[in-house]
Amino acid sequence: MIINHPHLGPRDAAEFIYLGDASLIDRPDWQDENATEKFYEYGYLRNNPAGEHQELWYHEQGDRSWLVVTRNTLTHEITKVEMARDVARARGRSK
Amino acid sequence: MPEFTLTSAPPLAGYDQSFDGVKLGAPVDLAIVSIALPLGGEVAAEKAIKSAYGAALPAPGKSVLSKDGLARLVRLSSDAAFVIFTHATPDAEPHVAEKLKGAAYTTDQTDVWSALEISGAKARTALERICPIDLHADAFADGDAARTSMEHLGTLIIRTGGDAFLLLSASSSAKSFLHAVETSIHNTA
Repeated sequence: MIINHPHLGPRDAAEFIYLGDASLIDRPDWQDENATEKFYEYGYLRNNPAGEHQELWYHEQGDRSWLVVTRNTLTHEITKVEMARDVARARGRSK
Repeated sequence: MPEFTLTSAPPLAGYDQSFDGVKLGAPVDLAIVSIALPLGGEVAAEKAIKSAYGAALPAPGKSVLSKDGLARLVRLSSDAAFVIFTHATPDAEPHVAEKLKGAAYTTDQTDVWSALEISGAKARTALERICPIDLHADAFADGDAARTSMEHLGTLIIRTGGDAFLLLSASSSAKSFLHAVETSIHNTA
């Protein structure tokens, strides 16, 4: 499997480590009224889609960047690769 | 109290071998200093690098020589770079820090990495079995740099000429890395 890194071009998947669902970027507010419930969901509950899935990959044997990869779980086709930092900023995070 | 003196002993020091169509050697006194661009201070850091070395910090995956040709600036990612230069004494980091005037974070990496220079008409053939990067000149031009792994060992590869590459890998596994490269040279001879 080849992951087309936005900065470095196509790289072998062996250079990367898989973390999981990209929803981990959306960490709940710990001061929320129902923070316990939200953290339970954040920590344990995942969708298991048969189709398009956004996931976090770490380029460990490379530039040490975190990526958000959009992959189809049925075909393994990768349709989009973004820097996780850009995705987090687009969702309103400051850093 | 007895007096001790420390003698530096880089793991690949003195290695220099010629094979059929390939030359493999360990460069002497290669100093490596990493530069981290501060969050929010990237523009100032890039400016400082340009005025210190007379060359702009290239895009990730590229490297350039300084204006005087003595140092190579390698951009590893959006916020990290290496300066690679020949420097005999163990004070490479202050040397770079002084030039950058505090605009970026610098860390000495000299002893952490071991370098091998591989060159010759068959250098690319020897690397093709262990390097997952496409090293054809159309895909990996002069000055291009890539961090990858060869034989499971993390490696930074830089094209320093038409048929010449600089390979950097961890000092702690330097001899295993040398063995992997030598084996690949023999296998493709």
